[in-house]
Amino acid sequence: MKARSPLVLSLLLLLVGGAGAAAALAGHDSHRAAAATPKRGGSITIARIEDSQSFDKTNVFQNESIWLAEQIMEPIYTVTADGKGVKPWLATSYTQSNGGKTYTFKLRKGVKFSNGKTMTSADVKFSIDDARAQTKGWGYLDAAIKNITTPDPNTVVFNLKFKWAPFLADIALFANGIIPNHFAGQSRSEFYKHPIGTGPFMWDKRVVGQSVTFKRNPFYWQKGKPYLDSVTWTFITDENTRELQLRGNQIQVDEFPPFNSITKLQHTSGVTMSLFPSTRTDYLDLNEKYPPLADVHVRRAISYAIDRQAIVKSVLFGFGKPANSFLPPQVPFYSKASGGLQFNMAQAKAEMAKSKYPKGFKVSLLVGAGAQVEAAMGQILQNQLKQLGISVSFKQQDTSTEFQNIEKQNYQLGFSYWTMDIADPDELVSFAIDPKGGGAHSFYTDYSNPTVIGLSHQAERETNVAKRAQLYTKLQQIASHDAFLGFLYYSPFRYAYSSKLHGFFVYPLGNYHLEDAWLG
Amino acid sequence: MNLGGYVLRRLLQLVPITLGVTILVFFLIHLVPGDPAATILGNQATPARIALLHHQWGLDRPIWVQYGKFMGRVVHGNLGDSLFYGVSSGHLVLQRLPVTLWLIGFGTLLSVLIAVPLAAIAATNRDRIPDHVVRAVPLVGLGFPPFWVGIVLLLVFGLHVGRAFPVGGYGNGFVGHLHSMFLPALTVAFGIAPILIRSLRASLLEVLESEYVTTARAKGLPESRVLVRHALRNAVVSTVTVLGVNIGYLVGGTLVIEQVYALPGIGQLMINSIFQRDFPVVQAVTLVFSIMVVLVYLLSDVVHALLDPRVRFD
Repeated sequence: MKARSPLVLSLLLLLVGGAGAAAALAGHDSHRAAAATPKRGGSITIARIEDSQSFDKTNVFQNESIWLAEQIMEPIYTVTADGKGVKPWLATSYTQSNGGKTYTFKLRKGVKFSNGKTMTSADVKFSIDDARAQTKGWGYLDAAIKNITTPDPNTVVFNLKFKWAPFLADIALFANGIIPNHFAGQSRSEFYKHPIGTGPFMWDKRVVGQSVTFKRNPFYWQKGKPYLDSVTWTFITDENTRELQLRGNQIQVDEFPPFNSITKLQHTSGVTMSLFPSTRTDYLDLNEKYPPLADVHVRRAISYAIDRQAIVKSVLFGFGKPANSFLPPQVPFYSKASGGLQFNMAQAKAEMAKSKYPKGFKVSLLVGAGAQVEAAMGQILQNQLKQLGISVSFKQQDTSTEFQNIEKQNYQLGFSYWTMDIADPDELVSFAIDPKGGGAHSFYTDYSNPTVIGLSHQAERETNVAKRAQLYTKLQQIASHDAFLGFLYYSPFRYAYSSKLHGFFVYPLGNYHLEDAWLG
Repeated sequence: MNLGGYVLRRLLQLVPITLGVTILVFFLIHLVPGDPAATILGNQATPARIALLHHQWGLDRPIWVQYGKFMGRVVHGNLGDSLFYGVSSGHLVLQRLPVTLWLIGFGTLLSVLIAVPLAAIAATNRDRIPDHVVRAVPLVGLGFPPFWVGIVLLLVFGLHVGRAFPVGGYGNGFVGHLHSMFLPALTVAFGIAPILIRSLRASLLEVLESEYVTTARAKGLPESRVLVRHALRNAVVSTVTVLGVNIGYLVGGTLVIEQVYALPGIGQLMINSIFQRDFPVVQAVTLVFSIMVVLVYLLSDVVHALLDPRVRFD
């Protein structure tokens, strides 16, 4: 009987250590009332799969950094909600002159930085001159700019080297967000450790590798906004834990829950599961350095043999659409008539018969270790290509190695994807079809068709919208016929968030305007 | 040799051990395919941009030159800057170390609190139902992987049963940490306690049959006093070594538990840094892990010796 005394002591300590502390911190928000009009106050936490790397908007390529930087630093024009155009933001209007080579912007009056200083044309000139000087960053998208002048504090003039159709889309790029002249007296590196901008939120604190918190900018130019007091971004790599924390109200937004949890989240009380149209397009990369894949008939056969509906159904659980162009529908000048090849096994076999490899060949497919979506797609592709005599073997590598090998073109078949950064097809088109222009050997495939490259350059200089649309349609049709990539599917941006959170909207480029978000 | 001399000698052994670890880790992580520049640049990775970053980080130099520079920094207490964050790797590790130490410490404490009474119950009820239950049930728990146990505990105690504990996270302040770390520590304890129970039960059975225990009983001492003061104190000696070895394994095994409970510890830092090929951080974490393992083993040896006067420091 008395031998149980250690047990009693242990239970007491357990109680103190666990349940006792639980009692001390007990208390849950039971407030469930939702208001019809936006309410001011409250804070939210957004959990992502990856931490932010840097807030130097001019040199960072990671979405988890860019989407946060945009809450602080805003451009003079911004992307519209459908992702297909731009609208005035820190500028109110522009005029064109000099045969379309000069753009004169009128700046919005009364815009202040979060340090209380008024934004002027000198700030705009400094910001964009700095952005375009970044050779290892996004400077290449501002290559058309010859110089910037500032005739008065509210006017900025951009002189271009040549007519450049994507100019407004480029100027709306996050990298061209406006910061104070001369980094507000700091060094460049110091400034970007806690940047200052005109955006709805301002820097609060960061624990590197754990969380970033922004608080309301009291000088924000949209009166009454933002509604939230602060926003914190954490990173939680485990998708199950993110979901549990959302259900436990420890976080209010779960970024990118897996496809297989969407239906469950749609039926979870207190959770809103939204699928926002995105510019994400997934591809099967075909490296033309591998001789069989340099044969257009082989590539067409593979594209015909991909059962995209089956992939969407079994891999995305129905939450996606088969792709029919390398451009996604949310991009201007996407053409439904692009002629992207769709599943047709008879046509696939006919194309194989026309190729130099009618009896098939062996090919390896690079698959990311632990990448469930890629593994599932690989299985489907393996079965379908087998019918053409193409024997697919898997080469599993961790995702970093996988990407390095694709980038070095040390692969035969592989998977990749793209999301747009600007509201214009030019960035993706250059990257995907111009082996020299995009610097990535045509999406790491070595595809090179002089007609397509020529059409791309014409479209860059064509400011007539209708004519530009014709050029891009033709370009997409030829690229589809060449089947230089296997266009797989378009998928939405997936966000699960507290049903108390309102006004949360994700744009097709992936960014979100948190000045409109509020807690009900 | 006295205790001080023994500890000093063991601490000096840290130098060749950590040097060996740095060589092994440095060359292994650099030999593994994967490029931090390509990982960071993502779809914007062009050969020109990758070359620029390689030059900036010194990755375009011969590997032995890179190792020489790394060691040159280490002897000055500088573990290099993270390629991903651009901040000191040492700072990143130190910032996260308390979380991992909390997890290991709290988990060990819970393991002992669970194991000691259960082993005592089993040993004092040999071959009876309580003994069979104590021997069988924890083994079932040992069979479940920690990530599964973690998810189930979160689901049950984080979302149901009065939402008694937070769904992951580290918490703020001592009480906050105690509250937040309870479930992760319990998950750790589920892995260690069964081993401790078996070890301690076996030792207790042996000690309870020894002559001095019989003498103690013959003197009319209460059974609880015999158990706690005479039997347990002697039986726990071998279990301390078992515990030390398990904590050593645990130092490297917190990775999964930190992932599941979203704990910002060095295990999680290690995993992310490996995926990002953030060489300086991987090297810094490994260095800290190796030092921790050596220190835990040293501590268990010292405690063993202090508990058992027959053990000599040599």
